[in-house]
Amino acid sequence: MIKNFPRERDCFVLFKGDAYPVSVSQAMVVGGWQGGQGVQWVDSPRDEFLVDYSDGLYGGFLLWGSNEGSDKYTSLTGSQPLYGLGTLCAGGWLISTRTFERYTYSSRQIGPLVENNYVVGERLVFSLRGWFTREDEWFLSGDPRGSNGYFIASVVQAPSVDNDHFITLQTSI
Amino acid sequence: MSEILRSRDCLVFFKGDSQTVIVSPQMAAGGWPGGQGVRWVQGVGDERVVTYSNGLYGGFLMWGSEEEGDLFTAATHQQPHYRYATMFSGGCLISTSSYERYTYVSRLGGPLVPLVYSSNDILYLSLRGLWTKEDEMSLSGSPLAPAFFTGFVAQIPKAANKLFLGIQTSM
Repeated sequence: MIKNFPRERDCFVLFKGDAYPVSVSQAMVVGGWQGGQGVQWVDSPRDEFLVDYSDGLYGGFLLWGSNEGSDKYTSLTGSQPLYGLGTLCAGGWLISTRTFERYTYSSRQIGPLVENNYVVGERLVFSLRGWFTREDEWFLSGDPRGSNGYFIASVVQAPSVDNDHFITLQTSI
Repeated sequence: MSEILRSRDCLVFFKGDSQTVIVSPQMAAGGWPGGQGVRWVQGVGDERVVTYSNGLYGGFLMWGSEEEGDLFTAATHQQPHYRYATMFSGGCLISTSSYERYTYVSRLGGPLVPLVYSSNDILYLSLRGLWTKEDEMSLSGSPLAPAFFTGFVAQIPKAANKLFLGIQTSM
């Protein structure tokens, strides 16, 4: 199958919105992240703008993963977690990313895994681990915050063999 | 010790949309701090005029009318004199001292009760156009309620940032 775009990174950009550098939390420095990872603001004892993995809230998503294959053996290797920085993306973007929930929340808890079927035009939120998803995981998990009303993106192209199972999104953050 | 110099009312870390607007006679007379929320009002002729926000918004004014940083420069009092200002909207990342420090109810009747901001709090503009976590349109019984969502808290006020509020705007 011939693909229109080689998808060698976690998240690639078809239209660019707002982007700026932010500090990432110690948890993210240790745990790493994929390109397209959703993040939310957290407090810091220092005078800095600090983000952590999203749990459904958002400030935006990180463009580049902390340890992507394409960065190996280059000056970018490990540079983001080393310096505690990431590039936060907000506003309106058109992206294609593999950082989305492939399986339903319930099936990820107890199995067997059941695929999330994404449909073009569908509204998306961030999951409890900050990946794009069609499910309201606050509601499904009994989170006291109730329903997640933070609409952040809509599906432009559903995952398929043709696009390496990436999802294409129009963000609205 | 603040790591970023905050010698103005509103600092911009990421710039969204900006445009020049005409300020109302009330604003020209009363002045405003940088970061002041504004709303559109009907002008005379072909003007785009803003005045102090009451919860509605067109954006916020980047520079205050009489900031210390402008004194003894060509910018001294220039905006109110010529009745113009630079309005920001869209997605910005800012740090500003123009936010409500006390709850709406306590500002009316006292004693003053501090507003405690947390990261990711949803923000609105207050009835006088300052950033706040309270929906003052609803609290005041305004027929225009509810207030519009205008941004998120990106950095809470603290000694390390000279008690400025970090905001990711969404206007």
